[in-house]
Amino acid sequence: MTARSRGAARSRAARPGAEGRAGRGRRPVTVARLVVRTFSEVCVTVGTLIVLFVVYVLFWTGVRADSAMDGEIGALQDRWSTGPLATASPDGAAGQPGGTGKRPRYENGKSFAVMYIPRFGADWSKPVLEGTGTDVLKKGLGHYDRTARLGGTGNFAVAGHRRTYGDPFKDFPELRPGDAVVLTDGTTWYTYRIDRRPYTTVPTDIGVIDPVPRKSGYNGPGRYLTLTTCEPEWGHSHRLIVWAHLDSTQPVERGRPSALTG
Amino acid sequence: MYGWIWRHLPGNAWVRALISLVLVLAIVYVLFQYVFPWAEPLLPFNDVTVDRGMGAVR
Repeated sequence: MTARSRGAARSRAARPGAEGRAGRGRRPVTVARLVVRTFSEVCVTVGTLIVLFVVYVLFWTGVRADSAMDGEIGALQDRWSTGPLATASPDGAAGQPGGTGKRPRYENGKSFAVMYIPRFGADWSKPVLEGTGTDVLKKGLGHYDRTARLGGTGNFAVAGHRRTYGDPFKDFPELRPGDAVVLTDGTTWYTYRIDRRPYTTVPTDIGVIDPVPRKSGYNGPGRYLTLTTCEPEWGHSHRLIVWAHLDSTQPVERGRPSALTG
Repeated sequence: MYGWIWRHLPGNAWVRALISLVLVLAIVYVLFQYVFPWAEPLLPFNDVTVDRGMGAVR
């Protein structure tokens, strides 16, 4: 293209007055060439844009999300190590789950817990942030802001990306009854156990995050956990749901729970 | 289009190549920093919650 363009420029410069006359005679050919060339260039440009966008979605969002999630977990651990009792109420420190009332509300967009799911790998750990907005889910898992507190009576519901932004819930369909979902808020370890295989539903089925989730098989109040992600993997027509119940708690001073160490 | 840009860049071929490279990098930066983050939520990968019904209430 270089040589051709320069040649074209030179020939035009050599015949400054000739372009109008000659151009008029050859206009259909010139116009057709211009149209075809511009069309080709537009196609190549659009193709390049699409490739770049795919790179962005598949690769770059993951890079950004991984560093954001590491940053959130690091910030949480800093906060917990500098003042582990600052966010805990007395009953929380004593290892009693669901001590509601006096505890501060979760702040929207802020991380307050770290989740571990051994089924997804021993090194799988993600921060849990308050809220399920698009920006929040770029930095970790999102806690539905109208659902119960971590370890509290009711349903602690969390949403996460299945694909893009670090693929946190990529292996979601592999969850099985008995699998552990372990969370810590800096004072207490909460171990939830999954009760049934992932359940597929439609996006408007908000009953799945009710305090006693509908169709979950639970028939009375309890301390439940719900995880939601998209289904199919790259689509948004359905949602994949997993329910768990609170199995055990222990204060952080007593070390990591057996679900993580064993 | 690209020929037109090339002809309107100043300097000799090397300078033009350098400017072209800088232009391409600038465009990629703008795309990754501003355009793609705007376009990505329009795709379905973000819909992982069941609160669409609640969203209407909110």
